[in-house]
Amino acid sequence: MMRLLKTYGTILLVFAGVGVLRLALPGAFLIHVTIFSIYTMAFSFLMGRLGLVSFGQPAYMGIAAYGTGLYLHYFGTNPLLGMMVGIIAGVAFAGVIGGLFVRLSSSYFTLANLALCAIGFFVFQRALVHITRGDTGLWYLGRMERWPLLNFRDPDHFLTFALIVAAGIWIVVKGLDRSVFGAACLAVKANERKLQFLGYNTYRIKWLGFVMANSIAAVAGTLYAVYFGFVSPAIMDVLRAPEVVVVGLLGGVGSLYGPLIGTFVYIAMQDLVSAIFVYWELVVGTMLVLVMMAGERGIASLLESAPRLLRMRARHDRSSAG
Amino acid sequence: MMGTGVDGAMIGGEAILGARGLTKRFGAMCAANSIDYHLGPKEMAGIIGPNGAGKTTVFNLLTGVYAPDQGSVFFDGREITRLSPQQRVKLGIRRTFQLASTFDNLRVIDNLRLAYYHKQRQGRCSLGGMCSADLGEVRDESIDECLEQLELSKAAHLPVASLPLGSKRKLELAMALIGAPRVLLLDEPFAGLSEMEIGQIVAMLRHRCTRRMAVLIIEHKITWLKDLVDRISVLVNGEIIADGDYQTVLDSPVTRKSYWRVE
Ligand SMILES: Nc1ncnc2c1ncn2[C@@H]1O[C@H](COP(=O)(O)OP(=O)(O)OP(=O)(O)O)[C@@H](O)[C@H]1O
Ligand SMILES: [Mg+2]
Repeated sequence: MMRLLKTYGTILLVFAGVGVLRLALPGAFLIHVTIFSIYTMAFSFLMGRLGLVSFGQPAYMGIAAYGTGLYLHYFGTNPLLGMMVGIIAGVAFAGVIGGLFVRLSSSYFTLANLALCAIGFFVFQRALVHITRGDTGLWYLGRMERWPLLNFRDPDHFLTFALIVAAGIWIVVKGLDRSVFGAACLAVKANERKLQFLGYNTYRIKWLGFVMANSIAAVAGTLYAVYFGFVSPAIMDVLRAPEVVVVGLLGGVGSLYGPLIGTFVYIAMQDLVSAIFVYWELVVGTMLVLVMMAGERGIASLLESAPRLLRMRARHDRSSAG
Repeated sequence: MMGTGVDGAMIGGEAILGARGLTKRFGAMCAANSIDYHLGPKEMAGIIGPNGAGKTTVFNLLTGVYAPDQGSVFFDGREITRLSPQQRVKLGIRRTFQLASTFDNLRVIDNLRLAYYHKQRQGRCSLGGMCSADLGEVRDESIDECLEQLELSKAAHLPVASLPLGSKRKLELAMALIGAPRVLLLDEPFAGLSEMEIGQIVAMLRHRCTRRMAVLIIEHKITWLKDLVDRISVLVNGEIIADGDYQTVLDSPVTRKSYWRVE
């Protein structure tokens, strides 16, 4: 028990910290940060741990959101059950698509995902219009059941719920990072052929990693679906595909807290800078270029190396003084 | 001491790894031209040859990276020409690469743990098992021994990316040895190393491999092989032009003519 707390305690503290920020910041902002950081974690898992860069992440998030939305619009009223349906849909979809896509070489993988996202958008906007009602979207906010302890229409309830879910995901990811599977994922990224020559079936490793990552994206999708009580094709708009790439790189892919840091900065910029400066994307873009110079490890790596730099500086000062 | 040529009695019995009529073309160029080769079960042998002779291509054919255009590969009396690289690893064929090939984003010890984990779990290496196994708990004497012998103990917890080439090559050798291979194929294991590092690798090979497994070493400079191997083959333009012990090969007129270009 103590050992678990020592390993995963930081995660609990960090997300509790985000909750405490509620004293100073609007709930909607923090909810958005929490859900989007889960979505970014999925991308970061793919790129940082497996070396797979996907430009089709909205598809995996969107399928799950539609799973939840369709259930709550047509069938049931229990939002938790709706989330279950969405996650199952997302995982099944990732399982099938992953089986096909992880065989592709890296640039084709990226493009295939982009194409998939464009197809998904078309299917939900046009092809299934009689079910999805196209751009009008599906509305079910009023249909969702409310419980005394968990009322999704209360921002504080929802924020607490989302933070617990996020902490759970971070704990699982950290656990995986410490496992043989986590090391095998990084090994695939560094040198897939070498891993094959140690006897590992790298296709299966990539498949499972892909499915895990996109299960996380699915969770983000279902959270959006129950938060807004509404889902429309905009959630898988292919034009928004690069967004998570930018946020992921901004925070740093592969690190545990990178997705959270990147999302926080990105959404704060979106909300604050856009209020005073219309071309806020320009600011984000410039920041991204600066951060990218530090490699794919983003802001998180700057924060990680800061203590070391300070120590070095201190040592330097001491030695030059002595 | 020495193994004999094609199909003769091998050191330690029948050949463990063999090639018959192995041919591989890249376009018009023939990188391996009807190669017959046999390696005894406990034999340590070398292949030398100039740049582009087809040495690495032979390794790629033996380990399943390429399918041959003609000919076949045998392991322990059984044909393995159609087996995948992974299946051949399971049989006990392990190799290192000409460009030192390690996982640079992992620590030295974690590279070895990955190698050991698969060996230990052979056949039962499930995804579920990999997810629930804590990497830090993968421990074995053989890992510590390898680190010790190759003087990598101090670097054990450093990321491989921070290591010099010599340490990477040593690490790659250790990863192959931890797999307890029956046949070990080393592609220029000494390239770019200092004399001291070469000495460590030679000592390691003597200690861990001699009379325990079959080893085949590709090397440019014949001198490093002199005291190490039982037999040397000379590969030129995709063909084995000479085969025998060090002195025989060195003195052979064919070798002198086509390899050193002396008359
Ligand atoms: N995948 C490939 N496609 C096309 N040509 C290849 C391929 N692999 C090797 N070759 C060619 O086959 C020939 C033999 O290459 P190989 O790498 O086997 O030589 P080598 O003896 O290992 O040389 P070196 O000492 O430089 O490593 C070379 O001319 C090389 O250009
Ligand atoms: Mg070569």
